[in-house]
Amino acid sequence: MNNMSQNIRVGLFFLLGLALAWITFESLNGGRLFKRAGYTLVAGFANLKGLKTGDEVRMAGVKVGAIELTRLAGHRVEALLAIEPGVKIPADAIASVEQSSLLGSNYLGVTFGTPGIELLKDGDEISTKATVDMSEVISQLGTLGSKLEQVIGEIGKSMGTGGEGGGIFQRIDKLVTDNGPKLTETISNLQDLSAKIKAGEGTLGKLVNDPKLHDDLLASVTEIKAAATDARVFMSDTKGIVADVKAGKGTLGLLLYDEPTASSLKVSLNNLREVSAKLNSGQGTLGKLISDDSLYLGVQSTMKKADRALEGLEDSGPITAVGVVAGRLF
Amino acid sequence: MNLPTAILSHIGGTLLLLVRTLKYLPTLPRQFPRFMEHCYLIGYTSLPIVTILSFFIGSVLALQSGYSMENFGAKQFIGTLVGLTMARELGPVMVAILITGRVGSAVTAELASMKVYQEIDALVTMNIPPERMLVLPRLAAVLVMMPVLAIIANLCGWYGGALVCQYTHFISVDSEAYFSALKLYMKPRDIVDGLIKAEFFGFVIMLVCCYIGLNTRGGPREIGASVTKAVVTSLILILVLDYFVTKALLFT
Amino acid sequence: MNSAFTASPFVGKTFGVTVSRLHKSFGRATVLTDINLDVKPGEIFCIMGPSGSGKSVLLKHIAGLETATSGEVRIGEFDAADPETRNKIHLALVFQAGALFSSLSVYDNLALYPREHRQGNEAGIRERVMHALSILSLEKAVHKFPSDLSGGMKKRVAIARALVMEPQLLLYDEPTSELDPVMSATLTEIIATLREQTAVTSIVVTHDRDLAFNIADRLAFVMDGRIRGLGLPADFKSPADPVIANFLNPVIDLKNPRFKQLENHHE
Repeated sequence: MNNMSQNIRVGLFFLLGLALAWITFESLNGGRLFKRAGYTLVAGFANLKGLKTGDEVRMAGVKVGAIELTRLAGHRVEALLAIEPGVKIPADAIASVEQSSLLGSNYLGVTFGTPGIELLKDGDEISTKATVDMSEVISQLGTLGSKLEQVIGEIGKSMGTGGEGGGIFQRIDKLVTDNGPKLTETISNLQDLSAKIKAGEGTLGKLVNDPKLHDDLLASVTEIKAAATDARVFMSDTKGIVADVKAGKGTLGLLLYDEPTASSLKVSLNNLREVSAKLNSGQGTLGKLISDDSLYLGVQSTMKKADRALEGLEDSGPITAVGVVAGRLF
Repeated sequence: MNLPTAILSHIGGTLLLLVRTLKYLPTLPRQFPRFMEHCYLIGYTSLPIVTILSFFIGSVLALQSGYSMENFGAKQFIGTLVGLTMARELGPVMVAILITGRVGSAVTAELASMKVYQEIDALVTMNIPPERMLVLPRLAAVLVMMPVLAIIANLCGWYGGALVCQYTHFISVDSEAYFSALKLYMKPRDIVDGLIKAEFFGFVIMLVCCYIGLNTRGGPREIGASVTKAVVTSLILILVLDYFVTKALLFT
Repeated sequence: MNSAFTASPFVGKTFGVTVSRLHKSFGRATVLTDINLDVKPGEIFCIMGPSGSGKSVLLKHIAGLETATSGEVRIGEFDAADPETRNKIHLALVFQAGALFSSLSVYDNLALYPREHRQGNEAGIRERVMHALSILSLEKAVHKFPSDLSGGMKKRVAIARALVMEPQLLLYDEPTSELDPVMSATLTEIIATLREQTAVTSIVVTHDRDLAFNIADRLAFVMDGRIRGLGLPADFKSPADPVIANFLNPVIDLKNPRFKQLENHHE
């Protein structure tokens, strides 16, 4: 073996190793070696939920890029998205962190947006939407009962203050006549609401029609009953006062006939109407619970998934199996 | 000498050999031709067998994991499994085992026969330390060549797995999906860990094989015994140290 | 052959060797017991003894390849067992089987020492190597490998390799064993002439009577790990010690009763 050619071969061999190492590292760093110049978008979030550099950016499930960088920026976190060239993302597209499996890998989903409007350019910020994650859903479910109780109690209270009594009824009559259409609307809203509940629409409807959850609610209802009893006692007390007022005794009578008092009553009625309107239109947490059944479905499917995962684990499901496979191989 | 003291004395002897060898590190540049010769023997001539073996290791890994993972629909993770396993574990270990068989045994045989036929003694009387002339260039060469072999083994294993995934009817994960799954969970750190392991194994193999070769006593029969001892010791050390090195690398 | 030695480049200080109260045992087996020797500078000192008497082990102690169990070996004022000594003294040992580097050609075997010690450039080294080869008439073997050489050739190459080192102390381990009588005679001449030319102290371990009596300035007999006799060659022409006498002039008794039994057994 010629000494020189031996050296050349070793040299070539070593360079081959270096080249392969370089290719490997480069392609692992998001395939930068073969990447044509795309463009970068910024997405701001309150919580990235474990989204990391190198994770995919998908538009309707199709990979359109990768997370280039994640960083803290003041009171939010920012992800830089390296979008492949030729991918058109409209200005109103919305990005959100999605979970691709229960095993915990995340990706950044981007919606289509409206076609035909202005497109996002390099360096633009894409609007984002927070997604609920499992732990939040579960903790919200936990506070649901107490919130319901609180709200219903308040409703009961506001009804209590509107109790019976000659003078007051006259005033109320007046109020009712004055606010006739508004009250009608409120009542029809409430009717609509109870019809929905009856039909099993919305989370509250589901809650009512679901025997398991019904039991849970029953407890709340018992508490509501107790609140109503309280209200009744309060009302009988009021009756006495009202009688006194009727007799023209004390300053309370005067106060009740006063215009400010009437207007404050009006305000509380307005509030009540607003609450029920909001409930109906699906604003606020309770409203969402009542009119939006996707949350319920979501929770249910999550639960089912978790159940399945647990079952799977019990009969040596995927994770254990991977372990077994790995164990056998080594 | 009973077994524990014998083991201790061998550990000590190996470490002393290392220390004595490192003392001659400054002489390495002028031993460059010798270093290149060992690079050639360790690296270049091992290339075909490393390529073929790692290709088939990757293939069979994909085949087996495809067969098992198909049962619970995790086929899309074959790329991840093959990629990480090759890079972190099988690549370095397999190259180390190959080097033990191809190079370690030859080194022990050569040094043992030099010892038995008094060539080592001749070197000592000529004031040429065997550590300097025989051990140092080999250690340096193995350190340079192991990462190269390991990275070649990785890539061949990955492509072997990709081919099997694509053309086996019950797996049929196309190579695009295979490599994206491979990349999804693979960090540069995983490759680096594998290379560190390969480096470490190569170093240990060469040191142990040199030590056993240089400490052969007796006649020509002992050459064979030394080679057996060196190969067995190296294999045990590879697999035992593998556990500890892996653990150390995972938690740093 | 003698003409080749003219203008020898091998000059330099030579050293005496002192062995004092040397004991060596391998495990429970005692190999050397209380060895005391004093080899003067420039002397050819022969250590004789039967096989297995420990004379080769003694030589290894002098070369620093073995460490004494007790006692010490000094080369000049240096401790032979100290690795540092080899940086101060050029010591060459001609091994019994040659111990040539089988992976190197004859030329590279000889050139290894000056190359490793960076003594001069390649041209200078070549001159030295070729000179040493010519002294031993080995010019034709220069590109051969040790495996292609006969036993006698190997020994000559080993001696040539020792010469290239320009030794200040030359040790020979059984230089004539396994050689035919003509080759033995040649080697005897070589050893004697080398000392003449370079005045280097030479210690020859051998059980070859002719070699020892032809070249030795002094002789030592080692038997069972002990010095059995020490003196000038003339002292051993008719030794008083029956063991040495038997070693030097073994009685060949073809009618030894021990072998009679063998014959009986065959019948």
